[in-house]
This record gives sequence, structure tokens and C-alpha cells, in this order.
Amino acid sequence: MNELNDPSREAECGYKCGSLRECAPLAVGAVPEQQSAQPRYKTEKALVRGTLFPGLDLPLGNIVNNSAADVPTAELMAIDFAAHDLSLYLDTHPEDREAFETYKDLLTLAREGMERYSRLYGPVCKTQLADMDGYTWLKGPWPWEYTGKAGN
Amino acid sequence: MFIYQKKLQYPVKIANTNPTLAKIIISQYGGPNGELGASIRYLSQRFSMPSDQVKGVLTDIGTEELGHLEMVGALVHQLTRDLTPEEIKKHGFDAYFVDHTVGVYPQAAAGVPWDALTINVTGDVIADLTEDMAAEQKARAVYDNILRLSDDPDVNNVIRFLRQREVVHYQRFGEALNTVQEKLDQSNVYYMNPAFPMNR
Repeated sequence: MNELNDPSREAECGYKCGSLRECAPLAVGAVPEQQSAQPRYKTEKALVRGTLFPGLDLPLGNIVNNSAADVPTAELMAIDFAAHDLSLYLDTHPEDREAFETYKDLLTLAREGMERYSRLYGPVCKTQLADMDGYTWLKGPWPWEYTGKAGN
Repeated sequence: MFIYQKKLQYPVKIANTNPTLAKIIISQYGGPNGELGASIRYLSQRFSMPSDQVKGVLTDIGTEELGHLEMVGALVHQLTRDLTPEEIKKHGFDAYFVDHTVGVYPQAAAGVPWDALTINVTGDVIADLTEDMAAEQKARAVYDNILRLSDDPDVNNVIRFLRQREVVHYQRFGEALNTVQEKLDQSNVYYMNPAFPMNR
């Protein structure tokens, strides 16, 4: 059993629980508010688990992914995903300065990651063609294509 | 506006074709609880929202759903590549194949085409956000069922990612609903629709 499944930790109001108003009008729905953008998974683990936040990681039958398929975009996907998931948190917690500073750091990493990737494999966004020698936008494989094992 | 990024949100790399599984998974492309409905629902509900926070949440989650639509399309595409007519008949993919070959068409697993009647835009923030929370749960339940029916590890890896996103989105819609409701008249939150005030 890992620390995230420890029942003694789930029982207290920790990162797996959130706050609700003590007194609220009747006949309205409410969801406990996430209290903090911490703890957070590292970007690679966040992508694999489908969330940056261990408190929201609630898998069917507690069966989890331990890795994602190996693709050239993996590193960039992980950074972009962590940034995106944190931005959804910021949408409902815009005053969280710590989360915003982390978001800015992730965006910087994402920009660098996209430049690194595009130099090796071609543009992710058309704006990157400004620095390229030819119109490489059309060059495959496109993101949904995988021509591995089957049929070959 | 929207600008395309030439990458998936999460890698889809399916080693083995499986048209039987493709017939099931296509429901999350164009079925009643699928990603097409999710994206169109959220991106359409935005226009009449009374708060900037809800506009942002719907824009960002609706945009992510377009990425999920692409991932589910990639799953269906890869599960049906390089099939022979014999394999298509053997796996019961012929009823789909006759109209769509191996194209990806938005339909439910039972063959019903995508229908805007599976979503709503009420123009009422409480009704819309409550629908959105239900939609995330319905999609989560469908991904649960796909995991129960599929024994392909490559497919299940992607499905677990998509399923987890439903849980996260449910949380964010719930938080947005809290914020909206706290701004309403606490003695009667249904006194009026803030998108269409009483004195108009």
C-alpha cells in the first residue's frame, strides 16, 4: 500500500478532502473546494495518471497507469499537460500566487520543450514555421497515425 | 478562435487492431456521453454565462474535450487499420464498414449518429453547470464500462487517462458552480437568472 492509499491519511481533512461552507442555502449543489495546488505529481507522472493532483486521482478499482506509450512528444506532452491541469485549477483559484508562479515556470518549460521538439520533428504550431527552411507543416506522421506492429 | 497543435494531449499507440473494440469505443467519439457532445456543449454554453470564471472554465474544458475527441478518433482509427474484408465480417464490423469504410464517423456504439438532443444549452448557469457535472459523470461511467469490456493494455492505458480527466473536470465545474451560487441572493438563489434579469 502506498502512502496515497493509507486510510489513516484519508480519514483526516488532508489533500484528498476539501472544504464546504458550514451554512449554505437549501436546494443547491456543492462540491468540496480543493484547498491547495499541493501536493502535485511531477509532470511525467501527472500525464500518466491523468491529473497533476494526487487528491483528485481516483482510479477505477485502484488500477493505475504506470507509464504512457513511448513517443517523441512525450516530454512536451507531460509539461503541456501539467500546465493545462494547473490552469484549470487557477480558473477556479485565480488568487493562488504559488500556483500561478508554478504555472509560469511550466509555461517557460513548455515553450523551450516545443522549440526542442520542433527542431527535431517539425512544427507543432504553424507559427514555428517562421524559423524553418521550408513548409514542413504537412509532413507526416500526423498525431493520430501509428503504423507499428499491425499489418507490417 | 482556435489554433491546432500538431500533437495529441496523451499518446495513442495501439499495437493490435481490434474492430470489435473500435465499435464500442466509437461511442465516446459520437455517442450520447461522448467527447463531441462534451466539447460542443461547453463551447456553446459559454456565450450566455454571467461570470468570467465560468466563461473561462467552459472555454478551457471545452477546448480540452476537442483534444479528447481527437484521441478517441485516433483510437478508432488505429484499431481498424489494415483490416481485410474477412476480418471485417468476422468481427461484425461490416454494418459500420458498408457506410463508412474505415473512416471515423460520430455515432454511438449501437449505430445511432451523434445528436444535438444529447446536450443542452439552457442559458441558465445553474442548470448548465449541473448538466456539465452530470455529463462528466456519464462519460466517466462509459469509460468505466470500456475498461470492463477491453483487455487491450494499449487501449486501456489511454482510456484510464480520459476517465481521470472526467473526474478532474467534475471538480472544476463543481467549484465554478459554488462560486456562481455564492454571488446569487442567498435567501433565494432561484430569484432570477443572472443571464436574463427580471427587469428586462
